Amino acid sequence: MSEPLDIVILGGGTAGWMAATALVSLIPTSRCRIRLVESEEIGIVGVGEATFPEIKNLNDAMGIDEAEMMRATKAAFKLGIEFVDWGFKGSRYIHPFGVHGPPGMDHIFHHRWLRALRHGWKSDIQEYSFALQAARRCRFGFPETRLPRVNSAYTYAYHFDAGLYSLYLRGLAEQRGAIRTEGKVKGVIQDPETGEIRSLLLESGETISGDLFIDCSGFRSLLLDKTLGVAWKDWSKWLPCDRAFAVPSERDELSPYTRSTAMEAGWRWRIPLQHRTGNGYVFSSSFIEESEAAESLMRSLETKALGEPRMLKFQTGHRMVSWEKNCVAIGLAGGFFEPLESTSIYLVQIAIMELVRLLPGKRIDPRLREEFNRLIDLQYERIRDFLILHYKLNTREDAEIWRYCAAMDVPESLTRKIELFRQSAIIERYKDGLFTPTSWLSVLIGQGLIPESYSPLADAMPAERLTSYLDELRTDIEDRVEEMLPHDRFIDRYCAAETAL
Amino acid sequence: MTRRIEQVAVVGADAPAWMAAAAIQRSLGGAGIRVRVIELPTLLQPVDAYSTLPELAGFHYRIGLEEGLLFSACKALPVAGQRFSNWSGAAPPFIRGYDQPVESGAGLGFTQFWIKGRQQGLRTEFENFSVGAMAAKAGRVPIPTKNAELRAGFGYHIDARAYTALLKLFATRGGVESKSAMVAGVETEGERIAAVTLSDGERVEADLFIDASGAQAVLIGRMAGAEFDSWHEWLPCDRMLTASAKALSPFPGFSQISAFRQGWTGLFPLQDRTAVVAAYDSRQISDQGVLDSLSAFANLPVNGDAVVSGLTPGIRRRMWVGNCVAVGESAFSLEPLDAVQLHIVHQCISQLMTLFPVEAGAFHEAELYDRIIRRAAINLRDFQAAHYKLNRRFDAPLWDGCRDAAVPETLQRKLDVFSARGRVPLYDDETFHEDGWESLLIGHGLMPQSYDPRVDAIPEQEHIAQMQLRLKDIVGLVEAMPVVDDFIGSAELQRQAEVIALG
Repeated sequence: MSEPLDIVILGGGTAGWMAATALVSLIPTSRCRIRLVESEEIGIVGVGEATFPEIKNLNDAMGIDEAEMMRATKAAFKLGIEFVDWGFKGSRYIHPFGVHGPPGMDHIFHHRWLRALRHGWKSDIQEYSFALQAARRCRFGFPETRLPRVNSAYTYAYHFDAGLYSLYLRGLAEQRGAIRTEGKVKGVIQDPETGEIRSLLLESGETISGDLFIDCSGFRSLLLDKTLGVAWKDWSKWLPCDRAFAVPSERDELSPYTRSTAMEAGWRWRIPLQHRTGNGYVFSSSFIEESEAAESLMRSLETKALGEPRMLKFQTGHRMVSWEKNCVAIGLAGGFFEPLESTSIYLVQIAIMELVRLLPGKRIDPRLREEFNRLIDLQYERIRDFLILHYKLNTREDAEIWRYCAAMDVPESLTRKIELFRQSAIIERYKDGLFTPTSWLSVLIGQGLIPESYSPLADAMPAERLTSYLDELRTDIEDRVEEMLPHDRFIDRYCAAETAL
Repeated sequence: MTRRIEQVAVVGADAPAWMAAAAIQRSLGGAGIRVRVIELPTLLQPVDAYSTLPELAGFHYRIGLEEGLLFSACKALPVAGQRFSNWSGAAPPFIRGYDQPVESGAGLGFTQFWIKGRQQGLRTEFENFSVGAMAAKAGRVPIPTKNAELRAGFGYHIDARAYTALLKLFATRGGVESKSAMVAGVETEGERIAAVTLSDGERVEADLFIDASGAQAVLIGRMAGAEFDSWHEWLPCDRMLTASAKALSPFPGFSQISAFRQGWTGLFPLQDRTAVVAAYDSRQISDQGVLDSLSAFANLPVNGDAVVSGLTPGIRRRMWVGNCVAVGESAFSLEPLDAVQLHIVHQCISQLMTLFPVEAGAFHEAELYDRIIRRAAINLRDFQAAHYKLNRRFDAPLWDGCRDAAVPETLQRKLDVFSARGRVPLYDDETFHEDGWESLLIGHGLMPQSYDPRVDAIPEQEHIAQMQLRLKDIVGLVEAMPVVDDFIGSAELQRQAEVIALG
């Protein structure tokens, strides 16, 4: 067998340590050796304290014990994201990690609900989502796995301290054989003919050579951008927020969902952890002064601040390719979306998994690289449309940013999707992409778009049966939610962090 | 809200027309939608048979058709795969079994383990690890078992005219009205069909017209922008011959597809006969030439009942125009290979049901239907084109030409990524999933150059043991399956036969 592939990861934030842990855990040392270069002098962004349910698949694959990880990262559960004041002032909806309606009926349920609505049976579609109702009532339990019941068709994610998650992964990765080198990069040595990266030159004088380089250097994109010059695809005309202030505050009610509240120039997050609440204001500098945004954030805190607000600058978009020559960018070095739907860690994860499946040999097969780039591009474009949807579908007239977004031209793929839903309540599904029709449904309706019609298939149920069908479902959901433990008690029993007690 | 759809007219012939009518009646009859079939003269010959994929069972379930009726009323035989011979020079035949996709943990499926085994000298062919292929080879029927990993389904060879009659009986019993007629004219108003005039003078109006007339495309063919684009560039056979031969005994468990210098022949065993199909390139051989050699090509004495027809794979630029929706071959057509004929109809009808229009005046769903059906059609076309592209016959211009010609980008990517890593890039709306593509590509000799690095995490001895265990499990499962003859004669099927007799 040939020599193992030498993989050098530059940057030790969430992306870097996720990549290191996954590679070292999933691929035997006979196939690759992992080195990670990071500098303690360079801070990490720690993208997202909120995650998407897919993270559990990666954690499971890496052999991570859930309760242990949650204790180490002071994590809590997450069943969805609440959006306040988004479609219009006073609106409030949750995008749950589960279906509306009974399990296995998500293709027809909303059509039945719309039919009832058309015929004067006024009800909120949110009453028919189990995960959503559990979130509203601050309860938690694991999904029922044996029987197809209302409480089986949902998943869950975590709120955690991303810095602690990185540390936790670092421990695992080092224990499993990844080698960490402390140091700052002074120069990058490229092959004079092919332009491939040969080694990183550190300030200490040390040279780190490798076959494949993973750029996890964050916004600086030291390898993909600064060294290989891969161009940027800018999407800020559709997603205009370009700054965020973040500040932790004292622990508050441990609600099992992220809250996103629309503001005068963007939106504010609230992420409850075991030991604190994460808060932040994502805004567009075209619509508000930085100082004003910081003040607005501090004023809005529900508990006492645990520090000064920290500002991040960013731009929404991604690199034309994520993998160029022998360099793969994972995380912020490859692209960025604001944390509206907690997609950052998901994008890191999907890139890692595709890289594992398409891992090249010492000489890189361009067919593998092109396939990787195709798959990652699809993910970016589909998430992009879903995020824009939140901004585009609003009827707020009270602030410039909302008027701008309501009027802006959006990608044709999104326009088509919105229009078909408006006209026929149909949502196209795709194979590769994070957001299922269930997610689209909750945001489309949540933002205030009630379709003009519904599928004739929903007319097949006898009219007298329809209302009892909906009533029984709602009652079933209420009863099952009542059986669950309050979220904070569940956490105490399952994974209480020592310092949080 | 404008007026909702009330009247649907299905204009067409044979199984496609009755499949569409039965599906719409079943799902929407209760919603007050009326379905009427204008039944055109049949295009079927007594020798015709349909070869179907296991997925058709889902359609039968949805329309409430008891599958046992196919055996009693349609002379059907179950088949667990297709056997391909003479496509690759001296290479032995391979069977593409109808295995059911298994959810592979984080995308690390069995194939990756097989590739490593092969690189290390494993000689056992890929098909030996397929429960469908082994059932087919043994002439057995893969009925459901308790094994969650190793599962296969079966498709059918069905007498086409009997199946049509069964569907017609079923649909009319369910409330579908029908009339046999020819179309004399189509009255259009812009992009809308106002009425279809029949040969007897009747003027048929409807909110929605379904064109299930096959290649005739009696309605969609007259609509603006629905021109037909040929796919002969990648699927070169342009003639087709259908005939019959005596029934085989015992019944085999597969369809037999054999290449010859100018095309291929298919043998589709039924209870009372074997349906024989030949598809060929008229630039290379005449109809008479095929007829003269048919028994030799098929390796079986063929009856003197052959019928020839044209074969024109391709797709319409629009498949839903105004209030006219094409389903089946009026939308796109392929070769009678890979058991896709009725699948094309099934796929179109499923999409039509999902996108069933809400308004009689506006058809917002048309654009999405066009896009989805086009994607599905291209994926199927690529699957068929791969047979030609990957051939290793060096004895005839047809095969040399196909090997050398460029294939569509969508297929080239699949071939590239598969030969690099043994992974198949799947697109939206694929009929065949990883297992289907893998058995096709490996069967035709495309060997991946590398495998998923996670495979090496399993120690060598354990890897070998797992492979051996799988072989052993498959042998055990297959031995427990009924042979085709016994399955056909089973009591359950007899009971269902009585049901239809009483009906």
